Amino acid sequence: MPMSQLAPARPRPAAGALRAAPPGRSRRRRLPLAPYLMILPFFLSFVAFGAYPLLFALRLSFTNWRGSGELRWIGLGNYTYLLTSSDFWASLANSGIMWLLVVPAQTIGAVAIAAALSRARLRGRGFFRTTLIIPFVTPLIAMAQVWILMFDADFGAVNTALTAVGLPSVGWLTTTAWSKPTIALLVLWKTTGFAIVIMLAAIQGIPDELYEAAAIDGAGVWDKFWSITVPLLRRAIAFYVVIATLGISQMFAEPYVMTKGGPYNSTITSGLFLYNHITTSDLGLGAANSFLLVVLVFLLSLVSVRLLRSKED
Amino acid sequence: MSASTTSASQRLRTILVYAGMAVLLAAFLYPLWWMVSSSFKPGPEIVTSPLSFDPRHITLANYRAMFGTVPILTGFLNTAVMLVLKGGITLVFCPLAGFAFAKYRFPGKNFLFGFILLTLMLPTLVLVIPLLLEMSLLGWVNTYQGLVLPGAIDAFSIFWMRQVIAGIPDELLEAGRLDGCSAFSLYRRIVLPVIRPGLAALAVLTFLGVYNDFLWPVVVMNDQSKQTLQVVLSNLSQAISGAQVDLNPASVWGQLLAATTVATIPVVIVFVLLQRHFVRGILAGSTK
Repeated sequence: MPMSQLAPARPRPAAGALRAAPPGRSRRRRLPLAPYLMILPFFLSFVAFGAYPLLFALRLSFTNWRGSGELRWIGLGNYTYLLTSSDFWASLANSGIMWLLVVPAQTIGAVAIAAALSRARLRGRGFFRTTLIIPFVTPLIAMAQVWILMFDADFGAVNTALTAVGLPSVGWLTTTAWSKPTIALLVLWKTTGFAIVIMLAAIQGIPDELYEAAAIDGAGVWDKFWSITVPLLRRAIAFYVVIATLGISQMFAEPYVMTKGGPYNSTITSGLFLYNHITTSDLGLGAANSFLLVVLVFLLSLVSVRLLRSKED
Repeated sequence: MSASTTSASQRLRTILVYAGMAVLLAAFLYPLWWMVSSSFKPGPEIVTSPLSFDPRHITLANYRAMFGTVPILTGFLNTAVMLVLKGGITLVFCPLAGFAFAKYRFPGKNFLFGFILLTLMLPTLVLVIPLLLEMSLLGWVNTYQGLVLPGAIDAFSIFWMRQVIAGIPDELLEAGRLDGCSAFSLYRRIVLPVIRPGLAALAVLTFLGVYNDFLWPVVVMNDQSKQTLQVVLSNLSQAISGAQVDLNPASVWGQLLAATTVATIPVVIVFVLLQRHFVRGILAGSTK
């Protein structure tokens, strides 16, 4: 990695080293100040824009503050309200369904595609890889707008294609059955290439001999995939599942742009639910919601790491 | 380079892989092709025949109308300001912190680095409400400092620069140290010149992240003249239909596609030109 690029710069200062170093001039201090100065900006910024708002939010979550006036302490009121509110659980369920629609299929698909790509000696792999990541770098908001038009019930390209081959047209973003899959499709389109590239990089670390040995033992493509590729990619898979879980638990922009949470609240994700507290100025409630979400996300990440690790040992 | 021992089944598999890849790439590129090609079609054609593209009917009418109704240049300008400020802060402070963690020993180092990694787990969404309140307390709502400062020195960039700088041979730094360089001149004279590829990757990652950032900009910049490009894009249909007397979907669609094309193509070009750096950057997190 970076080592190879650094190599050429090496000779020159090495020559300089011979000049210097008068004997006995060791100026090593016990407590060096410089490294602390170098990392200070991060911690200043964290205190100002991380710790302070976090503590403020914690305090806020025990009040019924609506953006002005006195802070009135209501104890655990916001938390109990949320935990007994069907809207809160519905938002979590919507996000959970979104996760199910995206993450399992995408992760398995990415591993399979990466495996196919790396084993076959293909020409133009660089081209493939570049094209695969293009959706990942496109602006989400712009593509969400394009999605609205492509999946428009009356004039959209998708329904036009469906009716052309004799299939019925679908209310992609206007029916509760299809609204989530349509948004999930945008997420899949945008992030699958990224997942493939991560798996490709990890697969390159698997020695060819393992596959050759398995082939001698008579293992087929399918056996090799499940007993070599998948187990050896466990770390990369865990990494990706955590990243994807974090992303989906915070999903906000897609439904915000495409459906505003509709139809019939079917796309109010946990992220959009949280955002809506801002528009209704329920800031105390919103703060409590934030913390519930953090705990949930943390637990989810922990569970996915555990699940993917346990079989290793 | 003809494969040496290709059996028939192996050849078949290669063909299948190529075919699969072709399908995948077509699926990945089609929405972009549809967006760009439709943006050059006459309005009514986008709606009546969304699947066809007739090069003889190419028109710039959608673009001309769009620049009149959508404040897209304002969006580009505000995004450019954000890019310069946030990119500058990231590129100055994050490599410096990465250097400290990669090449110095000091009490509390492991704890502090672990702490930085822990902040990676903190979802932005959680901080939005209290940060917004903090900004209004400071009078920073609708200001560039309010837009840029929170999160400008981010944990991932520090982590990634630490990985890059750890690859510098210690002898190189020892030589500079014996020359009497202070820590900061060591950084400026020896570290900076050799980590240029890493800095380039960081710059590309930061560019893409800032360009596509939406949650914080939409919350903190609600004044129309202060909106970034992505916030402008999120309000497209309001901007277009609000400026028109008759609501003709054909004309709205054309302008919408023109605006998204103008916003998407630059970032795709930047990525294709600099993708080497980008791929290295995104892989830094997964292969450590």
